[in-house]
Amino acid sequence: MSDKRNSETLPLAWIMPGALLLLWQASSSLGWLSANILPAPLSVLASAWTLTLDGTLPHNLGVSAARAVAGLLIGGGIGFGLGLLTGLSRISERLLDPTLQMVRNVPHLALIPMVIIWFGIEEEARLFLVALGVFFPIYLNTLHGIRNVDPQLIEMGRVYGMSPRRLFRRVILPGALPSILVGLRYALGIMWLTLIVAETIAAKSGIGHMAMNAREFMRTDIVVLSILIYALLGKLADSATKALERRFLRWNPAYRR
Amino acid sequence: MSKNNGAALTLSQVTKRFGDTPVLHGIDLSIAPGSFVAIIGKSGCGKSTLLRVILGLEPASGGSVASDSDAAHARLIFQEPRLLPWASVAANVAVGLGERGDGPDGAAAARQALADVGLTGKADDWPSTLSGGQRQRVALARALVSNPTLLALDEPLGALDALTRIEMQSLLENVWQAQGFTALLVTHDVGEAVALADRVLLIDAGRVTLDQPIYLPRPRRRGDPAFAALEGAILERLLDASVSAGSR
Repeated sequence: MSDKRNSETLPLAWIMPGALLLLWQASSSLGWLSANILPAPLSVLASAWTLTLDGTLPHNLGVSAARAVAGLLIGGGIGFGLGLLTGLSRISERLLDPTLQMVRNVPHLALIPMVIIWFGIEEEARLFLVALGVFFPIYLNTLHGIRNVDPQLIEMGRVYGMSPRRLFRRVILPGALPSILVGLRYALGIMWLTLIVAETIAAKSGIGHMAMNAREFMRTDIVVLSILIYALLGKLADSATKALERRFLRWNPAYRR
Repeated sequence: MSKNNGAALTLSQVTKRFGDTPVLHGIDLSIAPGSFVAIIGKSGCGKSTLLRVILGLEPASGGSVASDSDAAHARLIFQEPRLLPWASVAANVAVGLGERGDGPDGAAAARQALADVGLTGKADDWPSTLSGGQRQRVALARALVSNPTLLALDEPLGALDALTRIEMQSLLENVWQAQGFTALLVTHDVGEAVALADRVLLIDAGRVTLDQPIYLPRPRRRGDPAFAALEGAILERLLDASVSAGSR
C-alpha cells in the first residue's frame, strides 16, 4: 500500500522543483536575471566543478565538517553526560538543573563578541560556539527521556532483581533513547546554523569563509554554492539521525516501516 | 518443566503502617507449600500491601514473615504485563533469569517457558505486535522461567476481556499443577478465586475476616451448583464487609 503510494507520488514531487530550476536557468540565460542578483544554476554547477578540481571546495568542506563533528562530540558528550547525571540523581538535578535552565535562555550566538574577545578568531571560538549550541538540546532531551521512562518498568526491573547497572542498560537507556535521538536531531540543526554564523563572521577557512570571500569579489555563484552545500550537509545529518532512529527504535511501531 | 516444591510461608502478627495510617493489623497466616491461595477484598483493604509485604517489597512495620525458600525464588506478576517494548518476546522472558538469561542456556529456557504458555513461534516478535492476553502470557513465562517456589499474582487478569480471562485462568491452573509452586493470587473477582484457589482469604480493613477452604474437584466448572453456592456465599461476605467498612 505505502510502496504503491510512494511510486505514484515520487515523480509528482519532482515536477515543481524541476520546473522552478528550469525557469531560473531560462531567466538567467535570457538576461532577465542579472548574475549579480542570482547566478544561473549552470554557472553554480560550473563553479562547483572548478572549485572541486583546484581543491578549494574539498578543503573547506573538510574543515567545516571536522569543526561540526568536533563541536557536536564535545558539546553533545557533555550534554549527554550531565543529562544522565541529573536524570539519575535527584541531588545532581537540584544542584545543576536550575542553573542550566537559566543559562539555556541566553542565546548562544549573542556570545559571539565575548567569544571573539576570549578566543580571537581561532579554532577554539567556533568549537566553543558549536559545542554550546548542541549542548542544550541534548542535555534537555536526555534528562526528559530518563525522567519519562515508565516507572512501572523500572519497578518491574527492581522486583526481578536487576542490578542498578543492568537496570540502566536494559530499561532506562533504551527507554530514554527516543527522546535522546530527538535531542540529537535538534542539535544537528543548531550545529550547522552555529557553524554558518561562526564561519561567516570569524574564520580563515571553511564553507562560510569561502562564501564571505566570494562576496568580496561579487562571485554570487560561489555564494549560492556555499548555501546549497550547507543545505545538503543539513539534509545529510538529518538522514543520518533518521537512520539511527530506524535502527534503534525498530521496536516502536511509530518508527517501523 | 521441572516439578519443584512450593514454598511454605508463615506470617505472625504482621502489621503495616504508611505513616500514621495502619493498613494491616496483626495478620497471622500459615500457607502450605504448593497450595493455591486467593486473597480477595474491596479496593484499599490492604490485600496488595499484604502481598508486597510477603514478597519483601515493602518492609513490615511489625511481626515477621518466615519462608522456607529464599526471596530469589519468589516471582511477582503485575496487573499490567510490564514487558520491555524494546526487547523481543524471548529477551523479555529471559529477564526472569537475571544474568543467566544472557547466555544460550537462557535463550533455550526462555523458549521452553514460552512453549509452556502456548506462545511457541512468538519468541522473536516485538511485544507491541501481541494481543493483551498474549502479553500477559509472556509476563507469566517471564515469572515462571526461573522455576519460582512462590508465584505472587497482583490482579493479573483484571485488564483482560472475559473470554481471554477464562483461558488465562485455566492456563494458570495447568502450569501451577505442572510446576507445583505456591501461588498467591490477589483478585477482586470472587469467581476467579473460587475457580482457582484451594483457600480463599477475605481481607477487610487490614484483617483476615474469612478463611474459606475450597474442596471442589478440579477442573472446576462455573455452572456447577456447589461452585455457585460457594461463590454466592463469599460474595455476600465481601459485600457485607464493604458495607460495614463504608459506614465506618
